[in-house]
Amino acid sequence: MIIRSSDEMPRVTLLKRFPVPKNFGVRAESRINRGRAWPAPKGSVRTKRLEVYRYDPDTGENPRIDSYEVDLDDCGPMVLDALIWIKNKVDSTLTFRRSCREGVCGSCAMNIDGTNWLACTRFISDLATPATIYPLANMKIIKDLVADQTHLFAQHRLIEPWLRSRTPDPERERLQSPEERRRLDGLYECILCFCCTSGCPSHWWNGDRFLGPAVLLQANRWLADSRDEATGERLDDLEDPFRLYRCHTILNCTRTCPKGLNPGKAIADIKKMLIERRS
Amino acid sequence: MSMARTRSPLGRALGLGSAKDGVEHWWRERVSAVALVPLTVWFTASIVVHTGDNYAGFIAWLEVPLTTILMTLLLIALFYHSALGLQVVIEDYVHSGIRIPLLVGMRLGCFALAVAGILATLKIALGT
Amino acid sequence: MANALSDRPRPVSPNIQIYRPQLTSVLSIANRIAGVVLAVYAVGLVIWLVAAATGPEAYATVHAFIRSWVGQVLLFACSFCFFFHLCGGIRHLAWDAGYGFSLRAIYASGWTVVAATIALTVLTWAIAIVVPGVSR
Repeated sequence: MIIRSSDEMPRVTLLKRFPVPKNFGVRAESRINRGRAWPAPKGSVRTKRLEVYRYDPDTGENPRIDSYEVDLDDCGPMVLDALIWIKNKVDSTLTFRRSCREGVCGSCAMNIDGTNWLACTRFISDLATPATIYPLANMKIIKDLVADQTHLFAQHRLIEPWLRSRTPDPERERLQSPEERRRLDGLYECILCFCCTSGCPSHWWNGDRFLGPAVLLQANRWLADSRDEATGERLDDLEDPFRLYRCHTILNCTRTCPKGLNPGKAIADIKKMLIERRS
Repeated sequence: MSMARTRSPLGRALGLGSAKDGVEHWWRERVSAVALVPLTVWFTASIVVHTGDNYAGFIAWLEVPLTTILMTLLLIALFYHSALGLQVVIEDYVHSGIRIPLLVGMRLGCFALAVAGILATLKIALGT
Repeated sequence: MANALSDRPRPVSPNIQIYRPQLTSVLSIANRIAGVVLAVYAVGLVIWLVAAATGPEAYATVHAFIRSWVGQVLLFACSFCFFFHLCGGIRHLAWDAGYGFSLRAIYASGWTVVAATIALTVLTWAIAIVVPGVSR
């Protein structure tokens, strides 16, 4: 019952979903209907049923859940392999983002069996039966599993994720000791997949103003960078009851990060900096 | 319900700009929490020890100067911490026009309750 | 009402309807619920004090309610919420100081809060029922 790292799958499920009404707070256009069930391919022995969220903006219809039977002997071991198999062999209209297939680009982030993760690093054998594949939670959906991340990247742009300096550029590099460089570890590795932000209940309720764990982790990356000279201004821009302080240390972010990063800790460090600069 | 969205995504994210304020609220919620740990433990222990006391026994307990002081401190810390916590809850979940009246009403209510509790305590302590 | 398909607002993917409850989110919302419940009980505390200040008759009425089975159930719920919010609050204070952010620590401290809440509630009620010379 003690999870040691974010890639650990829970062995017991005490509560499958929060006890809220089925369409709790769901607007009419977001209500999900039952879709079609695709049959298993002939002659397949080992199959896995995947229930996938589908949405076609070209029809006037609401989103639906389609059910696919994936032939496990015909596709690779990861959830992304299953999705590609479905697109190649069964239903070519299934739409999703993907690129590196090795967990470094962040494109295939989606909600798998209730938690956000990268499809390319989640084993099919770890899935429930049937498995449920939804887009990242609480996102505007462009099509099927493709979410509109415009607002998230706007929030990222807001924190000015680049080096801000006042001293003129040195002739060579801006120097940094190994200890100073180590302070960036755990922050620079973020691939901006937004699994954390999309899994944060505070961002669900106040995502228009709350920056969310991914952006705040990046904010901390620049606050922690010894070469950056706008620390005060960055902290001023963050000190806001909504931008930063909607974080109530729920820690869904740290639990779900597919890269094993710790946004919760990064945000706590920002809050500590804000206290430290006025005492 | 569709609106012509002409403000840029960055403009929408920027909103009205940073309030440059918020540490105070966060800090005071933590300080009041730290104060409440010993005060509530004392209060709970007192309740347990004095279970079954009659009216006279209760008055005798509350009249003790230390009890009066601790009870007053408890009421102050409790209602201050509650006001701060409930403010965050309302800000999180209420986004319509009733938000500001609700925040004001809640804060005034906490203040009034704290005053009521403290005055009642003092009235008992200083002789009914 | 939208006219063209291009005017149609994009649907929003489900969030709380499908997101898996985990120890992190469950303890967090439980701590918040406990806090709000305690704020309501704080009103009861003031009523109790004001009744005592008013006089023995008023106090007797309040006291009789507390000693009724409804009052005792409410009191039990209050003590449970209190110990949960206390332990959860201490866990939060540790986080605010920067400690306990590894996933292992988050889960270990989380289960500790649950266990401590149950233990403290049971202990307190056991002592309250068994120990003093109670004229019940």
